[in-house]
Amino acid sequence: MTKMAPVQSDADLLAAFAGGDRSAAMTLTHRLTPRVMGQAYRMLGNRAEAEDVTQDAMMRLWKIAPDWDAGRAQVTTWLYRVVANLCTDRLRKSGRGVALDAIEEPADETQSAADTLQDAARATALHSALADLPERQAQAVALRHLEELGNPEIATIMDTNVRTVESLIARGKRALVAKLSGRKAELGYEDDNR
Amino acid sequence: MTTDDKMLEAAFSQARTPDMMPSEAALNRIMMDADSVLAASAPVPTRPKQGVGAMILEAIGGWTAFGGLATATVAGLWIGISPPAALTDLSAGLWGTTIEVPVLESDMFAGLEG
Repeated sequence: MTKMAPVQSDADLLAAFAGGDRSAAMTLTHRLTPRVMGQAYRMLGNRAEAEDVTQDAMMRLWKIAPDWDAGRAQVTTWLYRVVANLCTDRLRKSGRGVALDAIEEPADETQSAADTLQDAARATALHSALADLPERQAQAVALRHLEELGNPEIATIMDTNVRTVESLIARGKRALVAKLSGRKAELGYEDDNR
Repeated sequence: MTTDDKMLEAAFSQARTPDMMPSEAALNRIMMDADSVLAASAPVPTRPKQGVGAMILEAIGGWTAFGGLATATVAGLWIGISPPAALTDLSAGLWGTTIEVPVLESDMFAGLEG
């Protein structure tokens, strides 16, 4: 039976990259970008923008590598924070007044065209409503309900305490309900049995 | 769960897409960024400190040039101290020999003396 090589931690790979090891960057890129890209896409709902955010976040990681303090935080925690910040910046700048014909339609052959369009419209409405929230509320709500992280982890990512996170999420959700309520009929939430 | 909660949960669930790999082009751009950061942080090779003698030697063109210069200096000194006959003749031919030519004849003033 062959012995498997121990998996290097993200911090170790980052240290190796800081020491000039290009292959460490390659490993980190393949290991981290799917989650980074996924988080960005869930917050922005746009693949091209999510790729831009991913590239931006990874560039920040390369630059911080020489100064990385392995005892300070996990690389993934740091990336959650960076991506959340980059996404709320983009949401704010874009205003998210997305036209219906600009909505990306997820390829799901089991759904009817009408359902697909409605799902896309709902996702866009959520992103638009998130864009209108105060930045910290939008980040806390996204980390809790899109990334499905626990409040203690969110508190670490946002560099605050659990009580503040709970408050940010509660206020954020109330604001989202207020924004989406007016569009219930348009988005098909009134007669939705799905 | 209220209707509003259901609506919100439906919206969140809609946006909860799985993780995804960036395109090949995006991955290449990310690695190019990594390369540029590596290149920028690579140590610049520093020249070892040189003494004054080494700097002068380098300025005149190294040991080969120094050998030629030393030979020329010794040869010049030797020629100055003990010029060969051929060189003396050549010098005389070029510059002529030194002769004294009086401007005034000494007896021209003889009659003026009182």
